[in-house]
Amino acid sequence: MEVDVDTKENKVVEVRNGCQIGTKKYFASNPSNHRYEKPLIKEKGSFKEVSWDEALDKAADILVKAKRPLLYGFSSTECEAQGKGVELAEVLGAILDNTASVCHGPSLLAIQDVGAPTSTLGEYKNRADLVVFWGCNPVHAHPRHLGRYSEFVRGYFRKDGRNDRYIIVVDPRNTHTAQIADLFIQVNPSEDYELLNAIRAILRGTEVDGKEVSGVPMKNIIELVNKLKTCKFGVIFFGMGLTQSLAHHRNIDAAICLVRELNDYTKFLLTPMRGHYNVAGANQVFAWQTGYSYSIDFSRGYPRYNPGEFSSVDVLIRNEIDASLIVASDPASNFPAAAVKNMFKHPLISIEPHHTPTSVNADVILPPAIAGIECEGTAYRMDSVPLRLRKVKDAPGECLTDNEILERLIEVVKKKKGE
Amino acid sequence: MTEIKLVLKKEPEFPLEADVISPDQFTGKTLADIKKLIVYYGNEEKTLGEFFDISGKSGELTDLKIIIEGNLSNVKRIGEKMSAGEIEINGNVGMHVGNRMTGGKMLVNGNADDWAGAMLNGGELEITGDAGHYVGAAYRGFWKGMQNGIIKVHGKVGDEALTWVNGSKPANRFPTLICGSAGSFLGIHGHGGTIIVEGNCNRCVGADQVRGTIVVKGKVSRILPSYKKLGEVKEIELMNGEKINGKFVEYSGDHSVEKNHSKIDKKTGIISNSSNGRLFIAA
Repeated sequence: MEVDVDTKENKVVEVRNGCQIGTKKYFASNPSNHRYEKPLIKEKGSFKEVSWDEALDKAADILVKAKRPLLYGFSSTECEAQGKGVELAEVLGAILDNTASVCHGPSLLAIQDVGAPTSTLGEYKNRADLVVFWGCNPVHAHPRHLGRYSEFVRGYFRKDGRNDRYIIVVDPRNTHTAQIADLFIQVNPSEDYELLNAIRAILRGTEVDGKEVSGVPMKNIIELVNKLKTCKFGVIFFGMGLTQSLAHHRNIDAAICLVRELNDYTKFLLTPMRGHYNVAGANQVFAWQTGYSYSIDFSRGYPRYNPGEFSSVDVLIRNEIDASLIVASDPASNFPAAAVKNMFKHPLISIEPHHTPTSVNADVILPPAIAGIECEGTAYRMDSVPLRLRKVKDAPGECLTDNEILERLIEVVKKKKGE
Repeated sequence: MTEIKLVLKKEPEFPLEADVISPDQFTGKTLADIKKLIVYYGNEEKTLGEFFDISGKSGELTDLKIIIEGNLSNVKRIGEKMSAGEIEINGNVGMHVGNRMTGGKMLVNGNADDWAGAMLNGGELEITGDAGHYVGAAYRGFWKGMQNGIIKVHGKVGDEALTWVNGSKPANRFPTLICGSAGSFLGIHGHGGTIIVEGNCNRCVGADQVRGTIVVKGKVSRILPSYKKLGEVKEIELMNGEKINGKFVEYSGDHSVEKNHSKIDKKTGIISNSSNGRLFIAA
């Protein structure tokens, strides 16, 4: 079932067994007019091709001059490059952040508050007979998840695959995942906290007043609680629907508390449905090198952590940043407009293989090889299992790996700072 | 009382971390020494004298008052860990004002940003304007937030004020927040706090509260389903023995937390009045 890639004359020509998202990633690596092949510097509004030395010199100049630089991204590159990102942030006294801050950062906050009963995906495949998808739509966002780990797959103790599992979907919308579920709970948008709270209270034997909670009739909630209590091995997968609706990390906080309490009755675990293929890796690398998984400030020479104060969207909205280095990410199409506006006010360096709204507005573009296609590395799966990325073809043009670019950038920066 | 006056020369462009502005740091130092104290501006180290005009005279710690003038909304951590003395701020102030204070008094004549009085452990913090989110809250990952002292906010406080508040009657610790109105998740994960809201409150008041008293004199947009209505009361006794008169509806909770649930009689289903998690809303 592994992904099978054919290449011809250094071009991807066929991808077998990949999902739509993955297949597209492989084909996007082919040389095209959307791909950068040489370092570029913006001069008088238009890009000029320059040598690597010149581009790195300009980039280092921008970063060394900045009083409060931001290093953001890292979730779509391999772990060795992420480690170099931490080193660069420390040398510069910069703010270091990864895409978790607009994605599953709230999950990490909740985990820091109340812990996380979690496991690897193989456990769920072999044991889970009850799977809850809360605020996520894996049919579209994680197409192979259902087939490989959570729904249709046959496991050691779940020999009959889909028939051995009971699928519950909680979502405000009747998504395609909801349509293949056994039980669909339609919750009012941004009222998940109240529903989780009611479930926890009912689980503890408290009678909850009222006919409904968050738009869900009381009898459905009681049915849901009975299902959760009586399974053999349950799991909650949750996505942006919980982390980025109102109440953010408090939703996850309540979900974790629910899972903790369900373990009085049966075995229950939960796992976040991470987005970028290596965002879990960015969290792991940052955490083992600095102690914190995202929103890290090195301005006082040592790492400090405080999402809300040092997270990239917040610092950009407050216009605290005077230069930014974006690695393997496209904040211009994901961040709030006010944040993007402030980012474009100041010098911007982009390490990015493709034309994106961020890179076309950058002052320096450093073209990398795509990790996992054009260079090797390590990536962490959403359940924090490290996997080796393989190389299937060479990078076009003068592209260097992210790791090499950052390594050389650190060298130039150190030289400029006189270290 | 000896006074030291600080006047901000120019509003800083980047956040200025001035945790040295505290009576504990100023006491026993001459003005020249105080001017040389280190502040952090972006990723650079600067001195306090570069940003403030400093005048007055330093003195005994308990007898020292610091007066600060100017728009300090980009100046962070004023009065961090102060243990005695007084600070008066005339103007808006930035994040973390008076965080981890253990004593003394701080008055902000203006608005404060997020984390005002975070993890306060004594003393008094008064803000005449509004305060941001996480007033008196625990920092990320801490299981004990504000443990003692009092925070008064005349205006509104943002979301998640007083998270993980931790008071104790036997130890005589009564962390208290008095505010004009409050955002959502007021007093989440509370373990013995006292919160009095003069006005209205947003959703999820007292979520996951194990112990503590929350009094809302206005309206609450939505009460959590895990709170049980007990009935009307005319007088509320706070944890520190003080009393509030008025007509209130009493709720008990949060019953999604294990410790509170044990207060429900398993046979009769009656909730014991001695249940410590209580929420009072004006009738």
